[in-house]
Amino acid sequence: MFKKIVIANRGEIACRIIRACREMGIASVAVYSEADRAGLHVQMADEAVGIGPPPAVESYLHMDRIIEAVRETGAEAVHPGYGFLAENPEFARRLEKEKIVFIGPNSRALELVGDKVRARQTMEKAGIPIIPGMKRVADDFAEYAAEAKAIGYPVMIKASAGGGGKGMRIVCSEEDLRPALEAGRREAKSAFGDESVYLEKFIENPRHVEFQVLADNDGRIVHLFERECSIQRRHQKIIEETPSPALTPELRQRMGEAAKRVLEVSGYNNAGTVEFLLDREKRFFFLEVNARLQVEHPVTELTTGIDLVHRQIRIAAGEKLDLKQEELSQRGHAIECRIYAEDPANGFLPSAGKILFLQEPKGPGVRYDGGIFSGWDVPIYYDPILAKLIVWAETREAACRRMRSALDDTVILGIKTTIPFLKDIISHPRFREGATTTGFIKDHFGDWKEKEASGETEILSLASAAFFDSRKTSEAGVLSVRAKEQYSPWRMLGKWRIGEKSDLSGE
Amino acid sequence: MEFEYLVKAESRRVSLEKKGEHWIFRAGDQTLEADVRIISGNAFSLIVGGTSHLVGIADHKDTIYVSLDGTTLTLKRPGAEEKRFEKGEEGSKEGITVVKAPMPGKVVKINVAENDAVRKNQTLAIVEAMKMENEIKSPMDGVIKKIHSSAGDLVDSEKSLIEIEPKT
Repeated sequence: MFKKIVIANRGEIACRIIRACREMGIASVAVYSEADRAGLHVQMADEAVGIGPPPAVESYLHMDRIIEAVRETGAEAVHPGYGFLAENPEFARRLEKEKIVFIGPNSRALELVGDKVRARQTMEKAGIPIIPGMKRVADDFAEYAAEAKAIGYPVMIKASAGGGGKGMRIVCSEEDLRPALEAGRREAKSAFGDESVYLEKFIENPRHVEFQVLADNDGRIVHLFERECSIQRRHQKIIEETPSPALTPELRQRMGEAAKRVLEVSGYNNAGTVEFLLDREKRFFFLEVNARLQVEHPVTELTTGIDLVHRQIRIAAGEKLDLKQEELSQRGHAIECRIYAEDPANGFLPSAGKILFLQEPKGPGVRYDGGIFSGWDVPIYYDPILAKLIVWAETREAACRRMRSALDDTVILGIKTTIPFLKDIISHPRFREGATTTGFIKDHFGDWKEKEASGETEILSLASAAFFDSRKTSEAGVLSVRAKEQYSPWRMLGKWRIGEKSDLSGE
Repeated sequence: MEFEYLVKAESRRVSLEKKGEHWIFRAGDQTLEADVRIISGNAFSLIVGGTSHLVGIADHKDTIYVSLDGTTLTLKRPGAEEKRFEKGEEGSKEGITVVKAPMPGKVVKINVAENDAVRKNQTLAIVEAMKMENEIKSPMDGVIKKIHSSAGDLVDSEKSLIEIEPKT
């Protein structure tokens, strides 16, 4: 087993991996950009190495600096988390050359599945159903336009190196194609350092169902069942759950076997996720392989009892997979809500800034994976994920109730977050019925506004603000409030005290 | 002691007074008697008529964030509003509309030049934050009078990006 691992990531996922290292008796090394010096992952890690300025290309995406950090600290392996260099075959190859273990798939498998276009070709050959669309990246705009026409609008632009919704655009007509391609390429370039994009038929209102798979270095493969991730905004998941309300045992088994086959034909090892779209007729299509630990991995952990990060590290260290497909089962129901620094009432605009107060949820069946703390200044440079809230309960309905309650317990003050939006989704009757598709948010929450606070909540808030300010005043003896007070009827009250501190009646 | 807050731009006054172990709050014609305990600098426990409320509270400049019973409210101390008017003045010259950055981020591209005629909803600029591009659209038909930013600039929320003179 490794003695020391570098975690080439930040935020909640870096914290999650550092915890796994601690539990396994492995020393952890955090890397950080200048914007993250005070970050939670730096606080938690055993060692920390600065790797450059805030923009990701100069730090978390900078391979030389990360390899230097490995050398400098004498670490044996790198866990890339998700995003950044997690699915970059060049990075995996460089580590292989340097005799540093990459905790993820081998570079050839990464290269294959990371190239969404090549992956589509391979899967089609292996008899896995794929979405109709391009099987190569076009040379110029004319070719894209011709392909789009052949596929038939609406089409979806996807980053060839993609994932996580970055670079994706739906295009409904030819006149929108050029600007959408431009934007998609820019976004892909910025997210993955590769601007190639391709087009696929846009399947309307499908479910997004993915399978978690583990493969060891000798080709033993098991799947750990599905996650349904249909609740998305901007093609990015915000709520995930397992089991999927849409799968029958028979369909689950067929999809699970297809997922294993996908990894097999890719020569894949370590943890991976095979994403499928499930259309209204419950036909499934291969979407892509996410060759990394997924954001939503905890729902699988809670229902299968398998710790995916521990497994990733053990597989990378050369251990044989001792799990047998027939012995694996799903128990109960788990849901994850992603808490993002975004304003859900305003087009999900990012909302960077200082977190003034944080209250983390607790309780039976509640898991909170966070990367923030009270006083943390959320930087503008990275993905806006702040934390994930995951619950487990015996049934889906019980899990929904537990999630709603845990969301009520989660308080983040100072920036806008998706929390109020998530509460309304979890409480929505269609969500409760399990009628979840990728169009769910557009269909039911297109013009969402936060509910007006009740009169009672409002007066309690005013009272709380007044009490808060009165304490501040008494602590600091603020003159402006005192001056104002001269005109206030409450001056007539004479002596009054707050806590044990100052006395303002002396004027 | 009396305080004034803006709740969604509406002015509300609230007074508080200690009465024995309790606090009396008055806002308009509403009176509230609460048993208040300080949990931390950012949390109070309120018991009002036997109902228990946990309050999370924090402030930044003139904004106060209050969370209770699963709802978060934003209140402003009135000073904030006055300052905003002052700040807005320099941009809001007669007949000119100032397009501001909606959030802190980096200007990726300015799609227009001074003296360009623009249509309503035309993309004027692209600002990126947290790896997402956000298109800044023109609020009206008009002519670009002045551009305050260029590609690569880091901008704060509310920073003036572009001035537009509406088409008459």
